[in-house]
Amino acid sequence: MLLSFGVMRSREIPGCHMITTVRPVIAASWASYTNISVDQVGPGNVSCRDSLLHSDRLMLVFQLYNNLKNLWDSSGCKNCITAGLQSPTNDTLYFMATLHQTTSCFDKYQHGNHTELCKNCKNTYKDLNELYSRMEKNQTLCIDIEDAMNMTRKEWSKKFNCSFPREETVPVIAVSSFMLFLPIIFYLSSFLHSEQKKRKLIHPKRAKSYTSLMNIQDKQS
Amino acid sequence: MANITKKVSWSSRADESGAAGEGTPLLNGSEQPRHSRQPSEGGSLCQIGRLSTVDLEEEITSDEESQRGRPKEIPHNEKLLSLKYESLDYDNIENQLFLEEERKMSYMGFRCLEISRWVVCGLIGFLTGLIACFIDIVVEQLAGIKYQVVKENIEKFTEVGGLSISLLLWAVLNSAIVMLGAIIVAFFEPIAAGSGIPQIKCYLNGIKIPRVVRLKTLVVKVGGVICSVVGGLAVGKEGPMIHSGAVVAAGVSQGRSTSLKRDFKIFEYFRRDTEKRDFVSAGAAAGVSAAFGAPVGGVLFSLEEGASFWNQMLTWRIFFASMISTFTLNFFLSIYHNKPGELSNPGLINFGRFQGDSVAYNLYEIPLFIAMGAIGGLLGALFNVLNYWLTIFRIRYVHRPCLQVMEAMLVAAVTATVSFTMIYFSNDCQPLGPEHTEEYPLQLFCADGEYNSMATAFFNTPERSVRSLFHNQPGTYNPLTLGLFTLTYFFLACWTYGLAVSAGVFIPSLLIGAAWGRLCGIMLATITPDGSIWADPGKYALIGAAAQLGGIVRMTLSLTVIMVEATGNVTYGLPIMLVLMTAKIVGDYFVEGLYDIHIKLQSVPFLHWEAPATSHWLTAREVMSSPVTCLNRIEKVGTIVDTLSNTSTNHNGFPVVVKVSGSDEPPKLCGLILRSQLIVLLKHKVFSIHVSQDERECMMDLTEFMNATPYTVPQETSLPRVFKLFRALGLRHLVVVDDENRVVGLVTRKDLARYHLGKHGLEELQLAQT
Repeated sequence: MLLSFGVMRSREIPGCHMITTVRPVIAASWASYTNISVDQVGPGNVSCRDSLLHSDRLMLVFQLYNNLKNLWDSSGCKNCITAGLQSPTNDTLYFMATLHQTTSCFDKYQHGNHTELCKNCKNTYKDLNELYSRMEKNQTLCIDIEDAMNMTRKEWSKKFNCSFPREETVPVIAVSSFMLFLPIIFYLSSFLHSEQKKRKLIHPKRAKSYTSLMNIQDKQS
Repeated sequence: MANITKKVSWSSRADESGAAGEGTPLLNGSEQPRHSRQPSEGGSLCQIGRLSTVDLEEEITSDEESQRGRPKEIPHNEKLLSLKYESLDYDNIENQLFLEEERKMSYMGFRCLEISRWVVCGLIGFLTGLIACFIDIVVEQLAGIKYQVVKENIEKFTEVGGLSISLLLWAVLNSAIVMLGAIIVAFFEPIAAGSGIPQIKCYLNGIKIPRVVRLKTLVVKVGGVICSVVGGLAVGKEGPMIHSGAVVAAGVSQGRSTSLKRDFKIFEYFRRDTEKRDFVSAGAAAGVSAAFGAPVGGVLFSLEEGASFWNQMLTWRIFFASMISTFTLNFFLSIYHNKPGELSNPGLINFGRFQGDSVAYNLYEIPLFIAMGAIGGLLGALFNVLNYWLTIFRIRYVHRPCLQVMEAMLVAAVTATVSFTMIYFSNDCQPLGPEHTEEYPLQLFCADGEYNSMATAFFNTPERSVRSLFHNQPGTYNPLTLGLFTLTYFFLACWTYGLAVSAGVFIPSLLIGAAWGRLCGIMLATITPDGSIWADPGKYALIGAAAQLGGIVRMTLSLTVIMVEATGNVTYGLPIMLVLMTAKIVGDYFVEGLYDIHIKLQSVPFLHWEAPATSHWLTAREVMSSPVTCLNRIEKVGTIVDTLSNTSTNHNGFPVVVKVSGSDEPPKLCGLILRSQLIVLLKHKVFSIHVSQDERECMMDLTEFMNATPYTVPQETSLPRVFKLFRALGLRHLVVVDDENRVVGLVTRKDLARYHLGKHGLEELQLAQT
């Protein structure tokens, strides 16, 4: 059942929706799971809980429940769905509305020149981006919103090529060459104009080597 | 009197009188300046070989005259020894006063002293940890503000155009901050420039570097390092911590401050060079420990650099100071990050946790590691050679403070320019994950939702970049990005070290090594069939970092332990040790370590562990300074004053001789007295009044104040033996006597340090005025 849901996963079936559909089923089983009291003991003095849930190596029910629970937590769906799991929150609805505006703008201009599209849809796209950043900061994001935003961004940057082109190569190169040139001038001028630091040598007094003298005398005698 | 003290307290002023042939030593109050070779040591000289003595005198006088004619001046090079560096008085001056004091102290007194040593060590660790904490917090805050400003500016101008203005803004911000840092170093305290490790190495070697452990130096160092790191230079803040720790130790243990001119009247027993040097070892260890979160590494650093006089209690105390230091830092940083008691920041640099399966290494990777060690050694040697030539140029031509400040500003501006240009032209974009570790992701020309990968390397403090290189997922970095980054950062770091700013070289080396190490890891993963499983680029980044650092600084034992402790995984001990050994062997074949090069360029008389090999044919007689200025045990004040104010010689220790009354024999050695002691005695007028009122005729009795048991060596002692005695005991003066205990000469540090093994055998360094 879950696998078929995963296969059907597409833009039209938002992830949170899928999860919330499945959640009640699992919630019910978890309720019965937790209701199995630890105290209840079955035949052979084994606790009911252990014999029912930990009876096989896979601990299937336990694992399935855990995984779904993790999915729910990491997807952040509780930010998008109201507490009663009935409907999306107001923030989500507002985001979806803005998204819809942007996508309809894309649809309107996508058959023409892409630069037209970039120019006309820029404001709505910018609003969408700002809304997304705000929601990111407040941490009211869920997987649906993130996915939708990612798709829109990919379309904007890759499909329509609307992100900023690199235009200013020449001024940047000019300024950086100037900056790189300054140290060369500095070092040349200090080499040519500074007085080179010289060290005065000191010759301390030393005694003549006795052993070498002795050696000389020995050799001579 | 004031006149004399001014003259005699010069000690580092340039010698105006010129050539050194002038004043001959005065002895026995005789006013015969032209009597060149004096009888006391001349007595023994006379007995040796009459004929040769005559030749001896003639030869030396003719030499003298030629020297007086042309005082030689040469451009600065590394084969010089400066006269301004003296040894510390590590060996106790055991005069009668000292012995009386020691005999008066009871057993309880000694126990109290031992306890107070522990208290001082704990205090040293605590204060060092606090200083490290302060530096870290201030750097984080200020760097955050700067990056925020530049990032907003870039984002604004990416859209509307005018990015060259962003470039200018970044360069100007960098220059301004670095200008501040360079001004306080160049104008107020030049000794605070660089990382401070060479100076502390010299101090632990027993050399008195002027002003190196003063409070003013500490303030300038801390301010300087903050400005350098925030100013975006290719530097680290870990090296200066060692210097700071040493200053804290020297200040706290003495119980007084020369900068503040306050005397707190505590720890007066410790106001001796012996105790001070031991505490400075503890301070240096505490500094290393705070910088890297490596207490054992800190202890080993002090051991490796300073151990001529090591004992178990000292090691124990130093370890205590290191642990307190890292714990203090950890504790206060955890409070700052609002997680009190979490204790996850043991040091200023945090390599992150290396755990998990991917970071285990296999036996067949060890040869690869050794190869990387060799590469690290080669690159390190290249770095050192380039830096050597640059430093020689700087010493010869860029020696005025305003020029130094300008140079620092230019380096900062160029660093910003290079970083910006690299980021600008980089096409490497990575998707922005939800748990991205980048603090300031720059989007620039990437698609939305992606960030510029080159910016993670350049637009960050170096510590964070190192962490990213160690721990980011495979595939985060493009090989081209890494290669370009390594190249540019290598030259930037080489250019930056040696400027008149407080800055370390540990982090830049680690960063360069981590970058090319990661590159090696990526290449290995693509070349070998299942390389993507075992060739984790983060692991190779670590090995590369260790190799590069070892190649540059050539520290072995302490660096291995520091890296192992910083990674928190003893498993890496063996590869890191092999890599560092390889890097050292390969690098030493070409050129010395960076700190040793800088010590040599400062003309410091550094004594190595042993005398140079093949020096057994030299004896004390060839090494010593002769003739020696001696003083009588009961000496005329006038003679003493003349001796001290003789500016042509730089003596700081005078053997005291006593004439056997009634006979004509030359006087024998009975003690040693220091210049500083004589000055104090003269200041306090400790002499008996003679009949005539002229103070110069008064006699001073040196018996109580001189060291009555100086160490001596016979003149036939070989150089290695003299060296061993001198180094192991931490001596300052070693008197050379003949078989009748008459003074023949004096051996000081400069006499021993001038012999070293060069490329063509034993070489002698020349003394120079600096």
